[in-house]
Amino acid sequence: MTTSEKRPMSRRDFLKLSMAAGFSAWLASCAPKAAETGELPVTMSMDDLVAGATKEGELTTIALPHDWANYGEIIETFKSKYNMKVNELDPNAGSADELAAIEANKESRGPQAPDVVDIGVGHTANAMTKGLLGAYKVSTWDSIEMKDPDGYWWAEYYGVLAFEVSKPAIENTPQDWEDLLKPEYKGKVAMAGAVDKSNEAVQTVMAAGLSRSGGDIEKAPEMGLQFWKEMNDAGNFIPVIADIGPISQGETPLAIQWDYLGLANRDKLAGNPEIEVVVPKTGVIAGPYAGGISAYAPHPYAARLWWEFVMSDEGQNLYLKGYAHPIRFNDMASRGVVPQEMLDRLPPAENYAKATFLTVEQLQVANKYIVENWRKVVLGEG
Amino acid sequence: MSRESDIRLGTGEAPVAPPQTPKKINWAWLGVIPFFLFAIFFLFLPSATIFIRSFEAPDGSFTFENIISLFTKADIVNAYQASLSISVITALAGAIFGFLLAYAVVLGGLPAGIRTFLTTFSGVASNFAGVPLAFAFIATMGNAGLVTRWMETVLGFDIHATGFTIYNIWGLSIVYMYFQFPLMVLIMAPALDGLRREWREACENLGGSTAHYWRYVAFPILMPTLLGTMILLFGNAFGAYATAYAFAGSFINLVTILIGAQIQGDVLFNPGLGNALALGMIVIMLISMIGYAYMQRRAARWTR
Repeated sequence: MTTSEKRPMSRRDFLKLSMAAGFSAWLASCAPKAAETGELPVTMSMDDLVAGATKEGELTTIALPHDWANYGEIIETFKSKYNMKVNELDPNAGSADELAAIEANKESRGPQAPDVVDIGVGHTANAMTKGLLGAYKVSTWDSIEMKDPDGYWWAEYYGVLAFEVSKPAIENTPQDWEDLLKPEYKGKVAMAGAVDKSNEAVQTVMAAGLSRSGGDIEKAPEMGLQFWKEMNDAGNFIPVIADIGPISQGETPLAIQWDYLGLANRDKLAGNPEIEVVVPKTGVIAGPYAGGISAYAPHPYAARLWWEFVMSDEGQNLYLKGYAHPIRFNDMASRGVVPQEMLDRLPPAENYAKATFLTVEQLQVANKYIVENWRKVVLGEG
Repeated sequence: MSRESDIRLGTGEAPVAPPQTPKKINWAWLGVIPFFLFAIFFLFLPSATIFIRSFEAPDGSFTFENIISLFTKADIVNAYQASLSISVITALAGAIFGFLLAYAVVLGGLPAGIRTFLTTFSGVASNFAGVPLAFAFIATMGNAGLVTRWMETVLGFDIHATGFTIYNIWGLSIVYMYFQFPLMVLIMAPALDGLRREWREACENLGGSTAHYWRYVAFPILMPTLLGTMILLFGNAFGAYATAYAFAGSFINLVTILIGAQIQGDVLFNPGLGNALALGMIVIMLISMIGYAYMQRRAARWTR
């Protein structure tokens, strides 16, 4: 995700930031340890949840941009369906920020403490070690295809990394990772984040590596860095972060992004420029996001009700409307509850059949290797 | 704040005064209280926090590791080099161009309208920074930028074929110059106004040439302002973050970019190292301030 300071960060801003961080850490450290809200059972009836949530009346979310996987509509529907208020904290926060927000507000259950988080799957291990998540299993638990056995997290949706190609700036649409190295794409290939900050960018390196290693996950990080080194040496890599601004202006005509964000951009730009979203032939990497409940949630009932809604057929179909693949897709498709017109809007299903899902451990190893070696290998520094 | 506390603050530990001669309260203290509060909360306390947390390992224990890596890790050393060079380059270049520009409009005998136009522009441009500035440069000079396209289509010259790119430290320097030299103009113009015509005339009456005038009269007078502005420009570039990040992500390895990755990264996360990096920046700024104070004193010696 991006930060959006309107001015360069001055030294004073830096000081303020670290001051705030330091102060909340100090608050957290000197307050006595409170009991966790773990007293709620791992499964609950909808009646109990609705009654409890109605009494709480409010839910606090974090890091849910409205144009990301259709979260705007998901939040609105939840609000009106259960007559709840939703307090949305920083929509542009990254996974680490979300966990930091839980940790910093352990003792102060005010409006700045998030109830629910939506984090990269690789972050779940860290969150569990620190005891930041509470366990809960939604009623549709059995059909969730990726989850923690004890209910501390579960995937809600996923996308695959795809090429977001602007027309007519790019004449020949690339079909696979190796195509991106061709001289015709000089100064045109961009990532959607910076590798040392963004999970999406790290997965972009990983996916290219998977394509080269023929699916060998262990070799992929190293081969991915090698791929991007060639990309940079050839002058094809342009370091501008490809969000909708540079894409519409034309600076980043070949951006690599989660497919659902690319498809949403295509709709939003409505032909200016025309966008084609291509899932590469090899090296298809799935990026699931994980839902969880803060162990220190100020509104524990509302938090559980939120996930019941999001993981229901209705909530999962709303993700699909934003082009993100719901994690219960196979179950829902087999029961015929996915509307046909939504299926028709998606890229061909065979693109997704080849997607590689990495485990939490694989993600951690790959992320560490890629981030630590990016500057050295790709940019030739150090 | 209650009246009593003001009195106490105003007079220190004043002995109980005889009632006939009430001690005079210096109300000026009231004016500086907000400043001191601000300085304590937003400068001294955070600096202390940065110092303390620089010795913190990711698990919260005490360590020298962060400080050691400032001198041993190649990418950190590179980042300091890059940050320092871009700050020095843009401070020097900004100072030179800004000074010449200010000189031209103030003393160059140009129509008065030019000066109004230039100072208004400088006021706007010196505050134009961050994401909008970065995007403006991408949109004009980037690979698909307006100017780049124009050169291709009208002049038939593909600038990128020569290996040119704005996405390196030189390109970023150009971007920084956009807010650096207008700031110099804004500060130098009033200083140049302060140069009295009589001084020049006096110099000429004593047989001095233009060179003599600048060497012995004008520069000694302007030197403190020049030095002060240059240190301001240096700090301006040294602490910039959003402009560089919006321009080329973390491609250009600056200290501020590294700090950002340490404290809010999805992947890297070592706030202790981030604090140590910030501490390094504070030390560099301190050294340059001390250097400035020393030069300033030398430069102002003639006034005593």
